[in-house]
Amino acid sequence: MPVIAVDSVWKQFRIPHERRSTVVDHLGGVLSMLDGRRYSFEEFWALKNVTFRLGHGESLGVVGPNGSGKSTLLKIIARIMKPDRGVVNTEGALASVLELGIGFHGDLTVKENALVYGVIMGLRRSEMKKRTDVILDFAGLTKFQDARLRHLSSGMQVRLAFSIAIQTEADIFLVDEALAVGDIEFQQKCLEKFREFKKQGKSIVLVSHDMELIRGFCEKSLYLLNGETRAFGASQESINRYLEDMKTLTAT
Amino acid sequence: MVVLTIVFSLMLRVNIPNFAAWLLIGLLIWRFFQVGTTQSLSSIIGNQSLVSKVYVSRYVIVLANNLANSIGSALEFLVLLPLLVVLGINLTPYALLLPLILFLEFLLIFGLSLSLSSLNLKYRDFYQLWEIAMQLGFFLSPIVYDGSFIPSRYQFVYSLNPVTRLIELARDILLGRRLPTTFENIVILLGIGLLLVIGIVIFRSLEPKFAEEL
Repeated sequence: MPVIAVDSVWKQFRIPHERRSTVVDHLGGVLSMLDGRRYSFEEFWALKNVTFRLGHGESLGVVGPNGSGKSTLLKIIARIMKPDRGVVNTEGALASVLELGIGFHGDLTVKENALVYGVIMGLRRSEMKKRTDVILDFAGLTKFQDARLRHLSSGMQVRLAFSIAIQTEADIFLVDEALAVGDIEFQQKCLEKFREFKKQGKSIVLVSHDMELIRGFCEKSLYLLNGETRAFGASQESINRYLEDMKTLTAT
Repeated sequence: MVVLTIVFSLMLRVNIPNFAAWLLIGLLIWRFFQVGTTQSLSSIIGNQSLVSKVYVSRYVIVLANNLANSIGSALEFLVLLPLLVVLGINLTPYALLLPLILFLEFLLIFGLSLSLSSLNLKYRDFYQLWEIAMQLGFFLSPIVYDGSFIPSRYQFVYSLNPVTRLIELARDILLGRRLPTTFENIVILLGIGLLLVIGIVIFRSLEPKFAEEL
């Protein structure tokens, strides 16, 4: 049984030729439509017929140049966006780490922020209360638990956010470039934690431009180019394909 | 608000008994409605990352905004009760119905907020339009004048305004005049229910596109 099943997903964005974002604009638009002008927009397909499956304990790397649809894909898996065509099925609890520190508030203490962020990530308040100590310890911030969040350095804040996300004990982790945070020691700690998750049968989708990271961590990789699947399979092959493409692109 | 109370109670000496208390009740009911709906307009737009970076039920975002504003209004009403006593009103047991009326008003605010917050995403000038609507609404509701001034042939249209009904209900029970009739209750419940349903329908149809519109 796949944990994530993505079936021929298409996603379209519209790039309108005229800005129309107010009631007044729309009234003007209706008038010009009477004149015979039509509301026109450019179609932009961010994802074209993307299909893949991911099982228990597997991790998938998603690579490709900027604007190739990687983040859109993650958002669709996370249910933040709906695909125009195709279906996405996921099994189990899902933690999306697309941006760190959502809902953080500078005037609350570190401990309080941990509680709020955990609830946003889908945990119960009572569960979160039990876990705060583990989280603070993992982030190495136990000493600062009653300090106001805005007095912490930005690196420390990100570390806190990442520690909470990790402690949510979801079955699927969607991670967007988030590993590139914190110092070397913290990165190592996170990687270790993720390896542990894999052993526990949890699945991870990782979007990154760090080929070494993906090669070392993900057995499977999906290479997207302009919304299309250029390669899906063993990480080594997908990455080589990507690097080759980029080489020919820069050569010409 | 203080200014309004003084201006209207000193300058417009109408023959309404306990005019200050009468006016305050109207003003507070109106403020609850106005602040709640106006603030909710930015609840989705103002929480971009909660909408486009993580999956949280979007209804909860609007509800949380409404609840936060309700706390402020609840405190205002807590101050109002002793103030009424100071102003010489004998509170009757009817006054115990006040929380119920405020709950009805909350449902009204929530229903409208669902429509407003989602429409504001697509039409960014909704905020300005709603502010104008609120200025009109202030004078279309019996806050600074008695609703019975309205000519009887416009009475029906006039009483369709749910805030009008809420203000009159609150005055009736707090000033100990009478209990609302069953018919009046049904009318207002239907009105609020309808707005709530409309809100949910609009919200549901626009919600899938929230993350893109932001």
